[in-house]
Amino acid sequence: MTTIQIFDPALCCSSGVCGADADRELINFSADVDWAKQQGAAIERFNLAQQPMAFADNSTVKAFLERSGAEALPLVLIDGEVALAGRYPNRGELARWTGVAVEEEIEESSCCGGCC
Amino acid sequence: MTQLKFLDQPPRFLFFTGKGGVGKTSLACATAITLADAGQRVLLVSTDPASNVGQVFGMTIGNKVTSITAVPGLAALEIDPQAAAQVYRDRIVNPVRGVLPDTVVKGIEEQLSGACTTEIAAFDEFTALLVDSALTTDYDHIIFDTAPTGHTIRLLQLPGAWSDFLAEGKGDASCLGPLAGLEKQRAQYKAAVDALADSQRTRLVLVARAQQATLREVARTHEELAAIGLTKQFLVINGLFPQAETAQDPLATAIFKREQNALAAIPEVLSQLPCDHILLKPFNLVGLTALRKLLVDDLPVDGENKSSHPAIPFPSLSKLTNEIAKDGCGLIMLMGKGGVGKTTLAAAIAVNLAHRGLPVHLTTSDPAAHLSETLSGAMGNLLVDRIDPHAETERYRQRVLETKGSHLDAQGRALLEEDLRSPCTEEIAVFQAFSRIIHEAGKQFVVMDTAPTGHTLLLLDATGAYHREIAKQMDPSIVHYNTPMMQLQNPKQTKILLVTLAETTPVLEAANLQADLRRAGIEPWAWIINNSVAATTAHSPLLCQRASNELADIKTVSTMYAKLYAVVPLLQEEPVGIEKLLELSRSSQ
Repeated sequence: MTTIQIFDPALCCSSGVCGADADRELINFSADVDWAKQQGAAIERFNLAQQPMAFADNSTVKAFLERSGAEALPLVLIDGEVALAGRYPNRGELARWTGVAVEEEIEESSCCGGCC
Repeated sequence: MTQLKFLDQPPRFLFFTGKGGVGKTSLACATAITLADAGQRVLLVSTDPASNVGQVFGMTIGNKVTSITAVPGLAALEIDPQAAAQVYRDRIVNPVRGVLPDTVVKGIEEQLSGACTTEIAAFDEFTALLVDSALTTDYDHIIFDTAPTGHTIRLLQLPGAWSDFLAEGKGDASCLGPLAGLEKQRAQYKAAVDALADSQRTRLVLVARAQQATLREVARTHEELAAIGLTKQFLVINGLFPQAETAQDPLATAIFKREQNALAAIPEVLSQLPCDHILLKPFNLVGLTALRKLLVDDLPVDGENKSSHPAIPFPSLSKLTNEIAKDGCGLIMLMGKGGVGKTTLAAAIAVNLAHRGLPVHLTTSDPAAHLSETLSGAMGNLLVDRIDPHAETERYRQRVLETKGSHLDAQGRALLEEDLRSPCTEEIAVFQAFSRIIHEAGKQFVVMDTAPTGHTLLLLDATGAYHREIAKQMDPSIVHYNTPMMQLQNPKQTKILLVTLAETTPVLEAANLQADLRRAGIEPWAWIINNSVAATTAHSPLLCQRASNELADIKTVSTMYAKLYAVVPLLQEEPVGIEKLLELSRSSQ
């Protein structure tokens, strides 16, 4: 089974609203992850501020941080390989990667055709 | 002995809460001694960063339960919230130090350096004391000199804040905020929160001084904590100025009247609480004998005492304003805890600058609004406006909830709403409102009665760091790029004045603010010690005593913390209007 790992930047509160501007992308993404999990997808998330060891223990992630810094997060790995960096995947991408049937869910959820 | 209401049939847990310097720790100590003297077995828990509990009992206590030999039946424990937060941070950060890039490690540390982390870490420390265990079974009463905030308790009550984090040992939701590094089991936190909300077991004592601003703040705390179940609340007005002291001392008379007026206008929600008044004592609250006398009010005042205190000529506010005026323009921010007089001092500085013919924009977050009203339009070159912190925060919350919370389920939305009630949110919302005015400081003076903490600036600047990198690579003569943080870091553009009172806890709190600003690369320009009795003339024995107590704190500020400082005397009347404010900024002693 495909495993997706998402390495989040450091955030002090669950929604990132303590930052300069709450990240809508992040909030939507949290909802998408919940959805994909309910469909049986294997997704793990790691927050830099809380589980930095997960970043340090993974040589791919560690090298990424050394090269590009924390500003370049999030980083998405699929079965250990870099799949996406600098932005969160949308629901369609999650579905495609995990082989989950998307059905009409996509239409319903992607408020602006997947652009947000 | 007068029977104090908050001491009547006390339950198992007693919490004293109130802002720094109102006397929570002294009251908690005195209560613990009183109960122990009555034959009860008592544990006293102090989280005061300036804890003098050990000093009070003449022994070292620290972070372990220690029997107090001088008081049979009493044991004490000191929790240092900063140290607890440091342990918490280290637990998360140490394993990756030297492994991940230094800048990344620094970023993680900053995320874990906010007030929320400190508060949660302290709560983590004393949660074990709220549940039945071998540790607590020996005590009839456990007394805390602090209480968790409503935000912390609500966060712990939210199922969404927990998910399966503690069960699985790894994050599931995007992040769980300060809760993530907590060690104990969720069941234990739930038991602790349940104990807090149980009126059979818990009594909350709100401690205040007879000052309008303080009472307003206490009223908010009361409503917030009552809303989450801490309904058994008592009010103690501490350090009330005794009428007997007012004879032949106009300052003492003025203080007495001001306090009585504040009590007469007490917020309605507080007037319904059982309330005790504790008079200001003519002695320092150190040592067992002194503390045993704190809760006894029938002390004779020594009318024969012919003491008098001549005003001491400390550096004055006028010296600071002279320096400020030389620059011709700039951002002047006054920073300090609530109730130290930031708004009044900001107005005094603004009026002084405007009086010299300089263009000034004064922006305050004064909740009472009367100050800005009395100044509006009074001087041609003084523009006054006001930012309402609650309105700004509410607007910010609504905007985030509408734009960002619309897709969330009920649990997720509840968590987002709670995140938006954190102290950081208010600070960010207010700072954003102020940011709109900050850029004016290049052409004129902008005086503000608030400033963001270093922590907030560092978080807000996390995105700015990226822009700065780009700016560095460009020719600086072409690109003029300036973030609010860069503006605050530049002493040519910004002067931050720390405001405090000449009392131990407020001085320590201001020193913590200074340390926090320095973390963000900002050096406070000067300190102002407000409402000083030492800087004025006094005859009442109580005031003379207070004046001499202040000297040690003023010395601490001038030698340990401040490069520049001024001492502003306690005034008989609240300075309202141009003339009074000018007087305040000019008074040299």
